[in-house]
Amino acid sequence: MFKIPIEELKEKAYHIRRDLIELIYRAGSGHLDTSLSLVEVWLSIVYSDFYELDVKNGEMKSRDRIFLSEGHACPVQYMVNADLGYYPKDELFKGFRKPFSPFQGHSVRNLKYGYENSNGSLSIGVWQAYGNALETSSRVFCIAGDGEFQEPASQGLFSVPLNLKPLGNFILIINRNRLAQDSEVDLGPVKEVAALYNWQTMVVKGHDFSALGSALKLAVEDKERPTLMICDTVKGYGGDPNNAGKLGHHGKPPGNDQEYQAYLDGLEAGRRN
Amino acid sequence: MEYSEKISLRVAFGNALVKAGETRTDLRVFDAGTKNSTMSLAFERAYPDRFYTAGINEPGMMGLATGLAMDGKPVVACDMSVFLHHAYAQIRAAVRQGKDLHMIIAASHTGVAVGPDGGSAHDITDMARMRLIPNMQVLTPMDGNQVNQAVQYALNNPGFYYIRLNRPAVPIFTEADRPFEFAKAHHLADGNKITIIAAGDKAFTAMEASEQLGEGVADVIGISTLEPLDADAIIQSAEKTGKVITIEDHMYVGGLFESVAGVLALKRPTPMARIALGRILTTSGEPDELARIYKVDLQELVERCKQFIGDC
Repeated sequence: MFKIPIEELKEKAYHIRRDLIELIYRAGSGHLDTSLSLVEVWLSIVYSDFYELDVKNGEMKSRDRIFLSEGHACPVQYMVNADLGYYPKDELFKGFRKPFSPFQGHSVRNLKYGYENSNGSLSIGVWQAYGNALETSSRVFCIAGDGEFQEPASQGLFSVPLNLKPLGNFILIINRNRLAQDSEVDLGPVKEVAALYNWQTMVVKGHDFSALGSALKLAVEDKERPTLMICDTVKGYGGDPNNAGKLGHHGKPPGNDQEYQAYLDGLEAGRRN
Repeated sequence: MEYSEKISLRVAFGNALVKAGETRTDLRVFDAGTKNSTMSLAFERAYPDRFYTAGINEPGMMGLATGLAMDGKPVVACDMSVFLHHAYAQIRAAVRQGKDLHMIIAASHTGVAVGPDGGSAHDITDMARMRLIPNMQVLTPMDGNQVNQAVQYALNNPGFYYIRLNRPAVPIFTEADRPFEFAKAHHLADGNKITIIAAGDKAFTAMEASEQLGEGVADVIGISTLEPLDADAIIQSAEKTGKVITIEDHMYVGGLFESVAGVLALKRPTPMARIALGRILTTSGEPDELARIYKVDLQELVERCKQFIGDC
């Protein structure tokens, strides 16, 4: 299923969360809670045994691709790719959200660093990703937020098998943490709608490596239909348990040493369980 | 490909795409449910496997085209101009992907020349919107021959382009085999009393005005690249005549007038006049009728030139 044992993936998830808390606390800004909700999802994709990448040659033609449409989650992308070896982690800590660095507040396309798309405004990346998948044999994954599907242009994507053409190499992952910036969000019948338009659909436990691995395997095995994977996650997962899954923390870094410590304590407690 | 008879810029565009497709097998064309208006239909008929229609879905069409350009293909995204309002965020997002993308956005049905479909269908702010986007090169070809050359140029030189087309048949006055001179103004007539600067098919109107004004009166400059603008040609002519009038089928805000005024204000302050649409909502009518109502026609240009020459 994965290139490395699940126990190692769990260790990686722990270290990446720890580094994300550190990175965003030091920077004083950044979307920590969204990033924490995607750690297992992102690791599961890049460590799936089928996933092709070359950290020394990010532009490799046959690479598989991850488009990040909910661009505010870019810290998890930055950290996972540092861990994979695209660039040293130090460079990320020095450059995060700094002028002209490759680690902007939202991703800037940089194939050498493994960033497929510049993002920011929601609903745009999902279409770019589908367009990117039109003529390649590579697999194109697109990670979008659940709030992003309040944008009518995102909802329209489900009609592509009918209105454009079905692509078996396209996998849309919705990070269903049920919280948008200013309110709770409900995806509604998105899964049913996608199925009616002939997508393969599934709902997956988004912090469970084993479940994610099986779902990704199914997703890439279907060569005829695009796949919608709704991943149930918790916003802020693995950080301060008083904040996780609650409104009011979108884009808010720990504000002082106490809050920072609460995130680390939560992380350690989670590791022990 | 050579035109000698009047031809609509959009028809010339469809033909140019088909011709380009003969050698550029990597070219992909997208449309958003308007292929028989933009004339991308001609390309679809010739190369059905290289054409995508996104349906009535401008944001999706622009996103898809951007995504395929990110995969290394040169793409042309076509739409009726006014509907590209829907895709403005996606166009802005496209240029943010990096300078290695090769994207041409082609808009038919610009200006009040669209005619009886009415104000909702008249796009009189497209040039302004495109000028606001960094790295977007804005082409305003003047006749059918230039459309063909502009398409070839844009396909041979990767980058982001906006090509402004329109609907009525436009007389041919440029040579078919003259390569597109990017970022260069066209000196169309010599004169020393007034400079007329015209964008797109209004260049022909400017030449007609020059004939009516008499030999040696109007220095006529045709603009087929609005962004980047040929500042040197404008300054040189302004120095010679001391008066500049612009004409465009577009709102004066952010269009040709303000582009030229911006150049002259900094480098060579010169008295100016403008023939352009105001900040207005337009009405239905025949193209010529609307040009008269909104005072963007030949008659208005000639009168204003005479008045301007007399005033100073």
